[in-house]
Amino acid sequence: MTIKEKSVISKIVLYVVLFIMVVVSLFPIVYCLSASLRTQEDLFQNMFPFSFKALIPAKITFENYVIIFTKYSFWRPVLNTVIVTVVTIFFGCMVNSIAGFAFTCFEFKGKKLLYALVLISFMVPFESIAIPLYDVANKMKMVDTYAGMIVPAIADGLVAFLFIQFFKDIPVALIEAARVDGASWPRIFLGIIMPISVPIFITAGLMIFMNQWNSYMWPLLVARSKEIRTIQIAISAFSGERAIQWTYIFAASLVSAAIPICLFLPFQKYFVEGITAGSVKG
Amino acid sequence: MGGIHIKNKWLPYVLVAPTVVLICVFKIYPIIISVVQAFLSKDGAVTLDNYKFLFADKTFWNSLKVTLKFNLMIIPIQIIVSFIMAMLVNTHIKGIESIRTILYLPFCVSLSVSTVIWQMLLNVNNGVVNSILGTFGVKPIGFLIDKNWALLSIILISSWRGCAYWMMFFLAGLKGIDLSVYESAKMDGSGFFSTLFRITIPLLKNTSLFVLVANTTANFLLFAPVQIATEGGPQGSTNLLMYEAYKSAFVYSNRQRQACIVTILLVIVVGICVIQNKFMTEKEA
Repeated sequence: MTIKEKSVISKIVLYVVLFIMVVVSLFPIVYCLSASLRTQEDLFQNMFPFSFKALIPAKITFENYVIIFTKYSFWRPVLNTVIVTVVTIFFGCMVNSIAGFAFTCFEFKGKKLLYALVLISFMVPFESIAIPLYDVANKMKMVDTYAGMIVPAIADGLVAFLFIQFFKDIPVALIEAARVDGASWPRIFLGIIMPISVPIFITAGLMIFMNQWNSYMWPLLVARSKEIRTIQIAISAFSGERAIQWTYIFAASLVSAAIPICLFLPFQKYFVEGITAGSVKG
Repeated sequence: MGGIHIKNKWLPYVLVAPTVVLICVFKIYPIIISVVQAFLSKDGAVTLDNYKFLFADKTFWNSLKVTLKFNLMIIPIQIIVSFIMAMLVNTHIKGIESIRTILYLPFCVSLSVSTVIWQMLLNVNNGVVNSILGTFGVKPIGFLIDKNWALLSIILISSWRGCAYWMMFFLAGLKGIDLSVYESAKMDGSGFFSTLFRITIPLLKNTSLFVLVANTTANFLLFAPVQIATEGGPQGSTNLLMYEAYKSAFVYSNRQRQACIVTILLVIVVGICVIQNKFMTEKEA
């Protein structure tokens, strides 16, 4: 075999494997979209034996979306998730960036110990502490409140670490000049550091978003009532009900997937940079 | 700013206080009470009874066995598949950017929602997967209700989303490798596999260690798919320890049992991570 033949074959193999991976990645999402646009009868009657009718609606209908948002008040968990996520992003960015600023900019007693504490916390996965954390939240009267979902998620070692990594590269002269001009610390932070740190704020916000949007065990424990439960809990509750139609669940699942997809796609570069900083440099 | 180290008596403490306090209250303290609770009886005396009861319990041993079996399969599968995915999308062919984005998509669907979707796809009566398999003459399989299939189905569901996530780390690591390293390897006549094992994998040591540790932790503590799709069944075949801990606390209201299980899980995870760390760093020497 010549080198040219060899490279043609390896290219074909590459395309075939990539094609399979694309199909496996996309199929559940596309099927979910298709199933959410048809009636349950249409979905079930055309399932066996397999034909293209099993995949494609006979007639497109938006009825499932209308029903989940009206009859099942699906807007409520969507709204709850948005509230919890937005508030966590706001406070998470604020609290962790300020701590990151203090760790890079100041010298103080006990700094090493406190820094180690922050780093350890990002090795502790939420699931491992979810059950004991419930007792803490319970004592603080946070069960069944938005605060119960938000407050424990604000301080995040990884996010603080991202800020520290970024702030380290800000030129010293910039801060010193401002100090000479007599600028106060809040002015330095808001007026100088924040404007040049927009990319890292996007990365941090996105990481907090993805964490909150994916969290399941914690909201399941701490936010049980129908009024404040999040999308993830509402959908899994749907799937546990025998009477509910599958096409409704597909529609609800698609809504819950569409929101992070729409946010992730334009900002994927920032997210990838965030995890790179956390894994390669860390 | 790395060089600036301004001294100020109280300001830095005020600035780090919110993060440090929140971390202590919501991350460190829960771990400590969990470990302590495991050694306390219901009326607060120090005891080893909680562990004695747990170790006398067949359900626990089965759950531990299932957890170890599950992790022995899922960790290598996820790491190998996501590494291959990263290698493939790191090539420079037409349209690779769009393919990369498509392969990221499963990560955007949260694990609980992926489970709900896959649960319907894998259903024995109306699931499309069985419908497709039917064209090859395969009889409908009860993926989530047959005890021979349930654990494999949980692995499939978690890996569908998980591989997309871990791929990002490997891809980030691969992009960090200087292209000139490959060029010189090629000049020396190094083939694909010898380049892979002698250059790529050793250079990805940091990334691999991170993925290995994070992946081990995530999978040992896996909860959502089991709670949603199988509730530990059929016949305890998917009863992972994290789910057993959850049941102990919220179904049997036995906090001591839950605390013991969580502590054992933490010990296993930390132990494995320390071994992985040692193994990976020793290899270098």
